[in-house]
Amino acid sequence: MNIELPLLAFVLGAALATAVLRDVLGAIIAFATYSLGIAVVWVVLQAPDVGLTEAAVGAGVTTVLFLLTIAKTVRPSGERVIERLDWPALGVSVLLVGVLLTTLGALPEIGSPDTAVLTSEVTTYYLENAYSEVEVKNAVTAVLAAYRGFDTLGEAVVVYSAGVGLLVVLGKEVFA
Amino acid sequence: MSESSSETIGEVRNYVESPIIMATVRIVSPFVFTFGLFIMFHGADSSGGGFQGGVIVATVMLMLGIAFGIDPLREWVGESTLVAILTVGVAAFLAIGVGTVALGGGFLEYHVIETELGVYHATKYGIEAVELFIGVIVASTITGLFFAIDAGKNDGDSE
Repeated sequence: MNIELPLLAFVLGAALATAVLRDVLGAIIAFATYSLGIAVVWVVLQAPDVGLTEAAVGAGVTTVLFLLTIAKTVRPSGERVIERLDWPALGVSVLLVGVLLTTLGALPEIGSPDTAVLTSEVTTYYLENAYSEVEVKNAVTAVLAAYRGFDTLGEAVVVYSAGVGLLVVLGKEVFA
Repeated sequence: MSESSSETIGEVRNYVESPIIMATVRIVSPFVFTFGLFIMFHGADSSGGGFQGGVIVATVMLMLGIAFGIDPLREWVGESTLVAILTVGVAAFLAIGVGTVALGGGFLEYHVIETELGVYHATKYGIEAVELFIGVIVASTITGLFFAIDAGKNDGDSE
C-alpha cells in the first residue's frame, strides 16, 4: 500500500494543529506528533540517519524543553479551542509555500537512479572506497567522521557554542 | 507556586512524586542509556552516530530529571562537572584531530596512528572515539540546556 499520501496528510494535519491550537500544551504535543511524522518521512526518503536525529531531537528532547519553558505560563481562559486566524500572517505563509512549491517540479522522483547525487563522481568515490580506506561500512559515517571530519568538528563546536552562548546570555558560569 | 515552602523539606519540589513514573524510569533508563551507546558505536556500520546517540543518552538525564526532580539531579551531577565534561569532549575531539597532524598526517587522518604508533585498525577506533566524543558534547550540552531552562522558573517572581 502507498504509505506516502496518508503520511503527508498526517504531517500536514499535525502542523496545522500546532499552528491553530490555542492551548500551548496542546500545540507542543501536536508539534511532537509532527516531528514523529517527519521522522517517518525521512525513513521513507531513505535517510535513516536524519530520521533518527529527527525522532530523538524533534519528538523527544525539544518537547521536554518546550514543556519546561511553558511552566511559567498560564493556560488561556475561555472555551475556544482554535486560535483566531491572523490573516496577514496567513497570507505571507501561503505566499512563501507557493514560492517553495514552484521548485517542486525540479525535484527527482524518490529513488530515481539518475539524480545528481547518485551519478556524481564524489558519491561513487565514497561508495567504492569508504570501506577499504576508513574501515567503516556506513558511508555516511565515513564521510562524517573521516573524509569531512573537519566539518564535523565545526558541527560539534556549534553544539558546544549553543551551551556556552546560553551561559553568556544568562551571565552564569554553570548550567544552574 | 509554593516552591519556597517545600524547598526546606527537600523532598517535594517542582515535580510529581509518582511511583509509577519513578519505577518506569528506574527500569527503562539503563536500557535507553545502553541503546544510546549502541547508536553511537554502531554508527560505523549502520545508521546512527555521535549526534543521535548523544541525544538518546541525554534523554536518560531528561527522564531522570522528570521522575526524581531536576534540582536533586543537578546536585547529583554537579554543576561545574557538567561544564567540565562538555569542555573535555570538545578538547578530546580537537586533540585527536591535531594529534594526527602532529604525527605527520592530515586533520583526522587516522591512518598515521597505525603507521606511526602501530595501533591496529586505528582508523576504525579513531572514528569510534570521535563518535564517542561527539556524543559526550551533545549529551552534556542538552543536559545543560535542560538544567538552565529549568533553573529559569525559580528566578523572576520568587526573587
